[in-house]
Amino acid sequence: MIAIEFLSNNALGKNQDKLQYILTAVKKGDKIVVLEQPLTSSEEAQLIQLTMQQVDKNFAGIEIATLGSAALDIKSHLVKLLGGRTSGLTVVGPSKIVKQIKKDPNKLNLLTQK
Amino acid sequence: MAWRHIFNFFLGFFSAKKSFSIGIYGPVNAGKSSIANRICMDWTGQPLGSVSEIPHETREVQKKERVAIKAGGKILTMNILDMPGIATKVDYREFIEHGLNKADAQQRAKEATKGIVEAIKWLEHVDAALVVMDSTKDPFTQVNITILANLEARKIPVIIVANKMDLKKSRSDKIKEAFPQHAVVPVSALNGENMPKLYEEIAKKVSP
Repeated sequence: MIAIEFLSNNALGKNQDKLQYILTAVKKGDKIVVLEQPLTSSEEAQLIQLTMQQVDKNFAGIEIATLGSAALDIKSHLVKLLGGRTSGLTVVGPSKIVKQIKKDPNKLNLLTQK
Repeated sequence: MAWRHIFNFFLGFFSAKKSFSIGIYGPVNAGKSSIANRICMDWTGQPLGSVSEIPHETREVQKKERVAIKAGGKILTMNILDMPGIATKVDYREFIEHGLNKADAQQRAKEATKGIVEAIKWLEHVDAALVVMDSTKDPFTQVNITILANLEARKIPVIIVANKMDLKKSRSDKIKEAFPQHAVVPVSALNGENMPKLYEEIAKKVSP
């Protein structure tokens, strides 16, 4: 059985350590997490760093993909400052469950392990 | 004369410039170390590091200082930094499949994870970047996108190196399609094909 958790902007907004929250859900809960608000490129890099610090013999890492505006451009900054949402989503899953996330600019295909 | 020493000291002090560093980034096994070795061999006669078919051969940042590249009518002196390959997962079992015993595989995995953290930290410190991609593979991966987006956010000049153009399956046009905002130079680190074009592009993009 594969568990998928959809995390709203509010759920993550309340959490002080958003990236650790995501990683805990993926690592401990063996869940695929879908974020309503896409991670920025800087957050993605930090999530990779955090993941690498926690790799061990039971946890090899994650698969991640962002659809939509991951980069925080001026427009996205303004939208965020005004309390709005930028479009897109981020999917994160444990690599033992998610084999690969195939990506093109407009869609994601998530392939799971058998 | 003493006054000349004092003059030279102050001249050196005020003209001293932070050394310029070009980072070689990319996913695992794209050929980053082969590119770094090719550049260092071409301009210093010495390679920078070892290469291997086994993933994560480079697990620490490798540095060659003050490499002088002559291209585009300029002489560019820079430090070449060969970064560990960036990945979102490191599974020691993969190394066992390449013939390593369990203890060595686990040690290699541990070192590889540290290398990835280090490579990402260095994103803030390089002055320019060569992002090496394997031109026989799909370039539209999250690792490539994340590396490029982080460099773009820091306004660091980027050249994409479409490596392995010597292989039949090479499709550098796919890389150009995926990242049209960047200069893409197809090369073969293996036989040196098109490396002069890469040096010209470096001279065009980079101003130490």
